[in-house]
Amino acid sequence: MHTLRDYSLPLLLAFGVHAAVAFTLSQGWKPPPMEPRVVAPNIVDAALLVLERPAPKPAPPAPPPPPAPKPQPEQPVAEVQKPKVDPLAEQRREREDAERERQREEEARKKRLEALAESAFEEELAREMMDLGEDTDDPAALTYADAIYRAVVANWSRPPSARNDMEAQLRVELIPTGEVVSVTVISSSGNNAFDRSAEAAVHKARRFEVPPETRLFERHFRSFVLLFKPQDLLR
Amino acid sequence: MPQQIPIFDLIVNASLLVQIVMALLAAASVISWMMIFQRWFALSRAHRQMEAFEDRFWSGVDLRELYGELQEDADNLNGSEMIFAAGFREYIRLSNQAGVDADAVMQGVERAMRVARGREEETLERHLGFLATVGSTSPYVGLFGTVWGIMNSFRSLANMSQATLASVAPGISEALIATAMGLFAAIPAVIGYNRFTARVDVLVKRYDTFAEELTSILYRAAHKT
Repeated sequence: MHTLRDYSLPLLLAFGVHAAVAFTLSQGWKPPPMEPRVVAPNIVDAALLVLERPAPKPAPPAPPPPPAPKPQPEQPVAEVQKPKVDPLAEQRREREDAERERQREEEARKKRLEALAESAFEEELAREMMDLGEDTDDPAALTYADAIYRAVVANWSRPPSARNDMEAQLRVELIPTGEVVSVTVISSSGNNAFDRSAEAAVHKARRFEVPPETRLFERHFRSFVLLFKPQDLLR
Repeated sequence: MPQQIPIFDLIVNASLLVQIVMALLAAASVISWMMIFQRWFALSRAHRQMEAFEDRFWSGVDLRELYGELQEDADNLNGSEMIFAAGFREYIRLSNQAGVDADAVMQGVERAMRVARGREEETLERHLGFLATVGSTSPYVGLFGTVWGIMNSFRSLANMSQATLASVAPGISEALIATAMGLFAAIPAVIGYNRFTARVDVLVKRYDTFAEELTSILYRAAHKT
């Protein structure tokens, strides 16, 4: 028929055009090969500084001090833990100034907390160092502190804006199962992203290994301060 | 492997409305390409036939003879053949009638040729309206599909606690295919429409010229007698 002859060839050609286009798309439409991005492991050097005892906690029914030998384990461990922050001098000074410093810090912290309470969602703090609690008097506590430190570091991915001189302090509160119940930035690095990354690292770890003995837990892990400092940056 | 999504998976996974839009656009594209090819062949053929007929016409052949030849396959006339046949038929009829003067004959001939020319123009312009419609509306149809798709992908984003680029990107990507298809259908249609309109204009002008020339020949013949 007239119409059939008139339109069949054009129709065939039209389908041909579309089939060719579809074929090209299905063959050639390969997104540019993505080079596998090598993400340098975000392992950051961190060191344990001090274990701080929560300020408001009245020492629980004060059991006799742990039988563990006090000063001996402290020195070597502390040295191993913070190889970058001129270890010996700081350690000594810290021990000497421990009392004074603690009081000063406590006051400063109170002020900061008040300021924080006002600006409801202020994040601060950055730098990778954990500052786990108070007198690291017994090796068991140190072991756990080390584990916590490792867990946090493993979960920490620094923002690209991190700089070496940043430093953030976070107060972490745990319940006896090791679950994190609250993370508060108590001193900001000045870089929100950094503070957030630190906070996120703790939240991501979610649960820490804590000593089963209540006394040890209450003393060191109920509430402690983590200090974050990126130490491995070249910039 | 989100970066390996082949394009057809995107189409298959699109939402129903977007798929309908895509199907509509694909159909519009196929049909408009069909029209483009069909018009292309038809206009080329019309051009060729017009050249051939004008060559015959000016080769000094006797007009009655030519008319007789054309009458033999009256079904396949087109273009200037049709105009010639219509004008000449009218001329013969009117000049054979008693009491019709030469001016009246010429008026009738001109009218008949005008009608034939109008019909020819109509045939040449067939389907161009479709191309114009596809060219002007399919981008909007595609855009509609895209907007709808993006709207949905953002709406589903609202339900997520962690909004990542990876959770919206596929939706936006598949929605954008609708715009791509709209443009894919529209561009050839617009180009085809402009091209064919220009060619039809050229052909119609040639028909007009031919009709004038035939009129002047018939006029001389009518007033000679």
